[in-house]
Amino acid sequence: MSWTKVLIVDDEVEFAAALSERLLLRDYDTKAVYNVDDAIAAIKQDPPEVLLLDLKMPGMSGIELYRTIKEFNPSIEVIFVTGHACQDGDETIPREAFDCVMKPIDIDELTKKIDKAKQSIIKK
Amino acid sequence: MNRKGDPALTPFMQSILRPFTNIANAITKDRYKSLKLRLFFYIGTLAALPLIGIAMMSYFWVFNILKDEFRAHLRWQIEDSQRSIESFLQEKLSGLRFLANAYSLNELSDDAILHTVFAKFRKEFGEIVDLGLINSEGIQVSYAGPYHLKGREYSNQDWFQEVIIRGVYISDVFTGYRKMPHFAIAVRKEIPGKHAFWVLRATVDVEALNRFLSSIQLKEYDDAFIINKDGILQTSSRFHGKMLERAALKFPVPAQDLSLIDYKQEGGGRLEVGFARIKQSPWVLGMVVQSTASSRMIELFTKDVGTLYLIIILVIIGSIANSIITSSVVNRVQEAEQRREAAIAETEHTSKLASIGRLAAGIAHEINNPLAVINEKAGLMKDILQLIGDFPNKEKFLSIVFSITDSVDRCRTITQRLLGFARRMDVSVEIIDMNETIKEVIGFLDKEILYRNVRLDMNLSENLPKIESDRGLLQQVFLNIANNAIDALKDGGTLAIATGKKDEDTLQVIIGDNGHGIPKEVLKHIFEPFFTTKEKGKGTGLGLSISYGIMQKLGGTILVESEVDKGSTFTVEVPVKASIDLRGL
Repeated sequence: MSWTKVLIVDDEVEFAAALSERLLLRDYDTKAVYNVDDAIAAIKQDPPEVLLLDLKMPGMSGIELYRTIKEFNPSIEVIFVTGHACQDGDETIPREAFDCVMKPIDIDELTKKIDKAKQSIIKK
Repeated sequence: MNRKGDPALTPFMQSILRPFTNIANAITKDRYKSLKLRLFFYIGTLAALPLIGIAMMSYFWVFNILKDEFRAHLRWQIEDSQRSIESFLQEKLSGLRFLANAYSLNELSDDAILHTVFAKFRKEFGEIVDLGLINSEGIQVSYAGPYHLKGREYSNQDWFQEVIIRGVYISDVFTGYRKMPHFAIAVRKEIPGKHAFWVLRATVDVEALNRFLSSIQLKEYDDAFIINKDGILQTSSRFHGKMLERAALKFPVPAQDLSLIDYKQEGGGRLEVGFARIKQSPWVLGMVVQSTASSRMIELFTKDVGTLYLIIILVIIGSIANSIITSSVVNRVQEAEQRREAAIAETEHTSKLASIGRLAAGIAHEINNPLAVINEKAGLMKDILQLIGDFPNKEKFLSIVFSITDSVDRCRTITQRLLGFARRMDVSVEIIDMNETIKEVIGFLDKEILYRNVRLDMNLSENLPKIESDRGLLQQVFLNIANNAIDALKDGGTLAIATGKKDEDTLQVIIGDNGHGIPKEVLKHIFEPFFTTKEKGKGTGLGLSISYGIMQKLGGTILVESEVDKGSTFTVEVPVKASIDLRGL
C-alpha cells in the first residue's frame, strides 16, 4: 500500500507542524499549511487523499473551506479537527464529512481514522 | 492510565457560584402581617371618615333644631305664665275698681257694709286676705279682715304716695304687720267736685302667685320664680334663695319685656334663662332651665339603648368584613409574590446553568488549543525518542514525556466533560418503551451492583404507554442518578427502581436508595454545576446538573426527597410526548 497523502490545514502553526512531523514518522505523506489560501493552492497543485481541517480559522471557516474544496475535488475525504465538541452547535460538522477528531488529538485514534478514510477511497 | 478528574477546578467554581444561591427567601412573613394591619387600618379609616362626618353633621342639625324648639318652648311657657299672672292681677284690680265705683265713700266707710262687700268679694275672687278704705290723709277709715288695722296711718308710706300719683298700685311682697307673706293692691277713687280722694286697698296671699308658678311644668333641676327690680325674690325658688331674700343669681335681671339668655355656667354646663316683666307690677317672672338642647341630645342617645347596640353590632360586622377582605387580598398578594419568587428562582437556576455552560465551553475551547500543541510536541518527542538509539538518560526522558502526555490526557478528560456539559444536546425523538430503557441502564450497572453486593429492587409498572422522547438522553439521566444512588449505598444496601404513571401525560421513574441521604443544606445545591460532595477526583459535580438540564430540555423535571441516614429518592418525571425546550444549555 502506498503512503497516504495527507494535508493538514490549521492556523495553529506549532500544532500543525508537530502533527505533520508525527504522521511523517508513521509513514504518511504529510504536508501542513497554515491558512486558507495556501490550502486551496496546495490542493489544486497536488490534491491529497485525506484532508485534516481545522473547524475554526481566520478568513474562512473550516465549513466554508470544506464546501469550496468539495466543489472542485469531491474525492478528497475530510476529517475535521476541532477544539470544541464534535457535535458543536453552530458549526455542525456536515453529515457527508468523513469524520471528526477532538483536540488534543490521540495520535492512534487519528491514524485509524485516516486509514479508514483511505480504505473508503480505495473502495470507490 | 490514571484518571483523577479535576480536583482544583471544583472548589474554585463552587466559590464563584455560591453567592448566587438562596436569593429567593428574602421576604419575611412579618412584612405581610404589617401589610395586613396597614390595609385594615386604611380601609377602616376610609369607611369611617364619611360616616363620622355625616354623624357629626346630623348631630349639629338635630342639635340646632332641638335648640330652636327648646327656646320656642321656653318662650311659650314663660309668656303663658306671664299672661296668666298679669290677667290674675288685672282681675283683682278690676274687682277693686268695680267696688270703688259701685259703692259710695259713705257706704264703704261703714264697717258692716265693708264686711259684707269683703265677704262677697272674697267669695268671688278668692285669696283676698283683707280689704280696707283709706282716706286722703292716709288714715284707715274702715277695715274688713282678720287683723285690727282700723285707724292705722299710711300717709308717709311709699305705696300711698304712689297710688296717689298713678291711681293704681301693686306692692312687693312683704310680711308687714301680719308676719305672713302677701302683697297689696290698691286703687284710688276721686271724690267728684272736690280735690279729695279715697283709696281702696286689698292684700292678696302669695299662695296665689305660687299656684301660677307651680302650674309651670318643671323638670328636676329647673326653677321658676318671681323677682322684683331690686333682685328680691317674691316667691320662693328652688335653687336661688328663699322668699324675700336677695336672689343668688349669677346673671343680671334684664329690663326688657321678655328676654331669653343662653347662659354658660362655670362648671361647663349650660343654662337657659328666661325673664318676662309683669305689667303694672314691680315684678319679673324668671325661669331657669338646666336641661338644655345638649343635655337633651345626650338623653336621646343614652335612653335609646337599641341604637347603641345597633351601632356596636355594625362596627363589629364592619371590622370582621374588613379583616376578611384585607387578609384575602394580602394572601393573594403573598401567593402571587411567592409564585413570582419561585419563577424567578427557577429562571435564575436555568440561566445560571446556561451561563456556566457557555463559560465552561469557552474555557474548554481556549485550553484545548494550547493543550493540543503540548500534546503534539510531547508526542513528537516521544516518537523521536523511541526511534533513535540509546543515549544517556533516555529512559528518564521517556518517562518525563510520558508524564506530560498523561497530564494532557487528564486535561482532555476535563475539557471534554466541560464541553459535554455545555454542548447543545441534539435531541433525537423516537418512540421508546420506558421499561426497556430502564433495563438497558441496569445493564450498564450490572457489574457495579454485583461487585458492591447491592440488592436491586425493580418494580416496573406494566401497561405503560410508549413515549416519544430521546432514549440516549434519558438513559444518561437515569445512569447518573442510579450511579449516585449506588455510591451512596453501603455494601449490601438496596437500590429501588420503579416506573409508573403520574397522570395521562406524565410517567414517573423513581430511583431510591437507603444510603446515607443528603443533608438539607447540601440538597439545595445538588443541581448546581461543579457542586460535589464526593472525594477529590471522583466526581466533577456535573452529573446531576447535566441531568437536570436534559430533563428541562425534554419537558420533564427531577424531584428529590432525602433524609439523612435513611436514604434519598429521585423522581424523574418524563412527559409522554417530549416538548423540546430549544433554548437548551
